[in-house]
Amino acid sequence: MRFNGKILLADDEAHIRKFVGLLLRKVGSPTLIEAGDGQEAVDLYARENPDLVLLDVSMPVLDGLQALDRIRRGDPDAIVIMLTSLTNRQTIEECLRLGAVGYLRKDLTHPELLAELQRLIDENFDSPETNPPPAP
Amino acid sequence: MSQPPPTPGQDARVNPDAATRAARILLVDDDRINRRILAGILRPEGYELTEAGSGEETLERYAALPPDLVLLDVMMPGIDGFATCRQLKETYGDHCAPIIFITAKSESDDVVQGLAAGGVDYLPKPFRAKEVVARIRLHLQNRALIEAQRSLVEQLSQASAAKNQLLGMAAHDLRNPLASVRALAGLLQEDVAGPLNVDQRDLVATIQEASQSMLTLVNELLDTSVLESGEVVVTPVEASLGDLLDKEIRLQNINAAGKGQRIVLAPGEPLPAKLRFDPDKLRQVIDNLLTNACKFSPPGSVITVRPSVAPGSCTVAVQDQGPGIPENERHKLFQDFGRTSVRPTGGEKSTGLGLAICRRIMVAHGGSIGAEPCPGGGSSFSFTLPAP
Repeated sequence: MRFNGKILLADDEAHIRKFVGLLLRKVGSPTLIEAGDGQEAVDLYARENPDLVLLDVSMPVLDGLQALDRIRRGDPDAIVIMLTSLTNRQTIEECLRLGAVGYLRKDLTHPELLAELQRLIDENFDSPETNPPPAP
Repeated sequence: MSQPPPTPGQDARVNPDAATRAARILLVDDDRINRRILAGILRPEGYELTEAGSGEETLERYAALPPDLVLLDVMMPGIDGFATCRQLKETYGDHCAPIIFITAKSESDDVVQGLAAGGVDYLPKPFRAKEVVARIRLHLQNRALIEAQRSLVEQLSQASAAKNQLLGMAAHDLRNPLASVRALAGLLQEDVAGPLNVDQRDLVATIQEASQSMLTLVNELLDTSVLESGEVVVTPVEASLGDLLDKEIRLQNINAAGKGQRIVLAPGEPLPAKLRFDPDKLRQVIDNLLTNACKFSPPGSVITVRPSVAPGSCTVAVQDQGPGIPENERHKLFQDFGRTSVRPTGGEKSTGLGLAICRRIMVAHGGSIGAEPCPGGGSSFSFTLPAP
């Protein structure tokens, strides 16, 4: 399924935002909003109300877990996928407990990442209503 | 420029002669005459002497002011020399001062029993001054060398831990940028920034391959340093090995497709629904075996994953269609940097660390990992987990 909604992408490393941004353009034609730290992600979420959030686990100001928690408290329906370079299971379990729908390991090759991203999108946006039309 | 690191062991260098001068000797004999004779020999040599007349007194004196060497009479009222020696050894362990027994005559039974109790030597009565001095000096020198060695080992292990920590930090910080370089080069090849001409495509492919091999190396170095420094331990939880296999086979098939290869799960005995293992660590093992199988099999091969169940254990075998491992190189497979003469079929890189890491992970699980030739050609790498 093509994803054409609004995506908030938060990672403190610009090169990661660049490559994940390119990946996202391969699963559809999303509108991309970028944040460089956890606090910025929380603020942008409230202002832009995106359809999907990708949050890096280790970020300055607020880390990914704190940002996830605040976003989900503000909007219990928020759909959040975590980005992680750690494969620390406790961290991942904590993310899932806080309501993230899944996680993407940044060390995967991009075809693997693409497949995982597509799978997570297919699992979480199964009806046309949740896949909003492209922004004008 | 940063400061050069201190050379390990610099301050542990010891001049054994200097270390024996002014050493403190605890002189134990219930016979005051004997003590006086020995003191007469030792005092002119510059040793500081404390005296004890019984085993009990020896233990007290030792505790109050630990000596560098103990001269210990065997026959004493109360606890005898052997028991005193054993007591000292038990209390002070490796740090106990060397103990030299004083024996009435060189009765071999006494000598043997004394050495068995932990003594380093014996001095027969009547004393010969030169022999007493020479033997004492020798054992004081030995003790100084042992102490120097101990301190050197301690400093080296600290230096090694610091190295591991640094390696871990460096590898961790290199990971993300390298993953980005690799992914961006991969995406460029897919024309995300417009079509590439043949030369550009070749250059971008080179960037991608080079970053891939660096990333592999960095990941394995990180794993090694983390495993060596003991920072990460295996934390087993209840999980499904079948689910993990399915997921990893699905992911690895994406990469295998690049070489026209396929990874298939052989229909085998059903694995237990729940096993105890560390999913992250076992994933690494499975990934490593699958990546290796693809790496060393020719394009278009089929890699077969075959689970099996035995009483008390579950085994997963990964069968490749590679050239097999030469018999005389099989012992290298699971050693650090233990590369064999077998070369990857698609120009992939190998550090020789991957399987060594897998072995450590499996051993930490109470399981094992091994390799054997397949009857029809190729190799079969398998890991075994204990099952309830």
